[in-house]
Amino acid sequence: MSRKLVIDPVTRIEGHGKVIIQLDDNNKVTDAKLLVVEFRGFEKFIQGHPYWEAPMLLQRICGICFVSHHLCGAKVLDDMVGVGYSTHNLITPTAEKMRRLGHYAQQLQSHATAYFYCIVPEMMMGMDAAPEMRNVLGLATANPALVKRVVMLRKWGQELIQAVLGKRMHGISSIPGGVNNNLTAEVRDRFINGDATIPSMAQMLEYAMEGLDLFYDFHEKNRAMVDSFGDAPALDMCLVDDNGDVDYYHGKMRIIDNDKNIVRELDYHDYLSHFSEATEEWSYMKFPFLKELGREKGSVRVGPLARVNVTKSYSTPLAQAALEKFHAYNKGKSSNKALHTNWARAIEIIHSAELISALLSDPDLQKDQLVVTATEAMWTGEGVGVVEAPRGTLLHHYRANKEGNITFANLVVATTQNNQVINRTVRSVAQDYLGGKAEITEGMMNAIEVGIRAFDPCLSCATHALGDMPLEVTLLDAKGNQLDERRK
Amino acid sequence: MNAASNLTLDYFDNDASLIYGIGNIGRQDDGLGWEFIDCLETVSACTKAEKVKFYQLNLEDADLISYRQRVLFVDASKDSTVDSFRLYKAEPKMDVSFTSHAMSIETIMAICWQCFGKIPEVYVLAIRGYEWELQLGLTTPARHNLSLAVSHMSPLATIE
Repeated sequence: MSRKLVIDPVTRIEGHGKVIIQLDDNNKVTDAKLLVVEFRGFEKFIQGHPYWEAPMLLQRICGICFVSHHLCGAKVLDDMVGVGYSTHNLITPTAEKMRRLGHYAQQLQSHATAYFYCIVPEMMMGMDAAPEMRNVLGLATANPALVKRVVMLRKWGQELIQAVLGKRMHGISSIPGGVNNNLTAEVRDRFINGDATIPSMAQMLEYAMEGLDLFYDFHEKNRAMVDSFGDAPALDMCLVDDNGDVDYYHGKMRIIDNDKNIVRELDYHDYLSHFSEATEEWSYMKFPFLKELGREKGSVRVGPLARVNVTKSYSTPLAQAALEKFHAYNKGKSSNKALHTNWARAIEIIHSAELISALLSDPDLQKDQLVVTATEAMWTGEGVGVVEAPRGTLLHHYRANKEGNITFANLVVATTQNNQVINRTVRSVAQDYLGGKAEITEGMMNAIEVGIRAFDPCLSCATHALGDMPLEVTLLDAKGNQLDERRK
Repeated sequence: MNAASNLTLDYFDNDASLIYGIGNIGRQDDGLGWEFIDCLETVSACTKAEKVKFYQLNLEDADLISYRQRVLFVDASKDSTVDSFRLYKAEPKMDVSFTSHAMSIETIMAICWQCFGKIPEVYVLAIRGYEWELQLGLTTPARHNLSLAVSHMSPLATIE
């Protein structure tokens, strides 16, 4: 009798998803899917609102990567009022650097959450460890000093976000054509030197380096597993500058194959003419792909692993050294290995910290040229914004009528870009860990989740009322009859 | 769960206390935690305590509460056994049902203890909500529950 295994919802990722693994009579995996069952509807919700509200409202999609949504929306508004990249009337250096500072701070704290909260406990305790141990509390018991440093790392990042964007969450600093504040020298010095409540910049760099060391240690002890787990081939995509190096705020979209040949390089304003989206009746989440190559060959991976695969170098020394090691280990090819995403994330934590450090020393942050004022004649009424969010390439596209009210909004979030490759990863892990087995253990179930969590997917920024975050595991037969169910 | 049904806001009306509203006002009744804080500010209740409003708990909240003697968390509840609201004292717990999207109050307390070697007295005001769609504003029954909770916690305060 064939069997169907359901993991619902997947724990420790943003929002809710459901995994269904179809087994045949011999317990061989015949199919595996990640289903996204929640529909947010933000694209409809925003229609009719004044255009300038979009970056404020759409960042509410997410409680983790809200800065990315805010900045992506701000870039769209720049275009709409006639001072964006589509018009070549650019915002001031101070405005762009303030946005970048907030962006890097968010990447630091978002990656720190995903890495230290979800991934490091699993690396240190093992995928087969009891669930009550392989979590941050198990880690806090085993190494409270490490968790305290992580708490302070997150706090530092959050406070910097608050200083730059005006609020700890869902900031208000970016406006059409610029920003509404700079960074005073006094505030800057607090983040460089630290005080009684936050660590110094130098300490942040130490903490960031510690994260990479944890990965190296884990890799050393589990090389075969790390280098084979969740192998899911795909193209890699991210924004790059003129040198071919990743740029988290602006650049061309570069897409490479596994040999690092450039498959496509495009202005993101032309995204729609290059990409199409497939749909499946079993998921609300679409499957973007390059039109010319089709879905099978044209699906892309975005996020830390894609960026580390694509970028040729980094501008900062510690991250550059780590990148060289990563590139050498993978022999100049792109890595398709799910757990190498955690390696890439650890490198990006360091790179983010170094980028912040460099920006904090930039006197442009104290200058007063914050906004380029647009005239009515410059109004275009349409814009596209793309940034590299922590989870990958994020696109916003709005149109507004002559009254300035939104008539159209399209959001392509990183997790949607990764939809195909996440499904490939789930299938790969299921085949390796579940195929041919007579019993499904907790460790096997967790392996599926580890594969998904490597992408740090944000399936929805759902409600989080008390008492509503269970893990349910349901085993169904071919006819949909429930064979077993577990809940934790 | 330790009931604390006789507690009022007077207990938190000092500068060593924190009142923490959790929620998302864009998701109907998920905004109950924030609305509670707004009510307190509207009627100038519990003015000495610090009040904060965030979407979700996160690791750094272990640090935030470590400086306090008393903390009141206010959140929406989907628990059908909560009639209108429930006030209880929370205890640190090695909670294994958490997600990165929503760390539990008990988890934050446990991390606070593990990392900082101290822990405040923590209470939870769970207010029953019913609808969680993408929409601004509380439902009528949730607003009624909020009113009951505010009246209970601050007998001299009423909301419309």
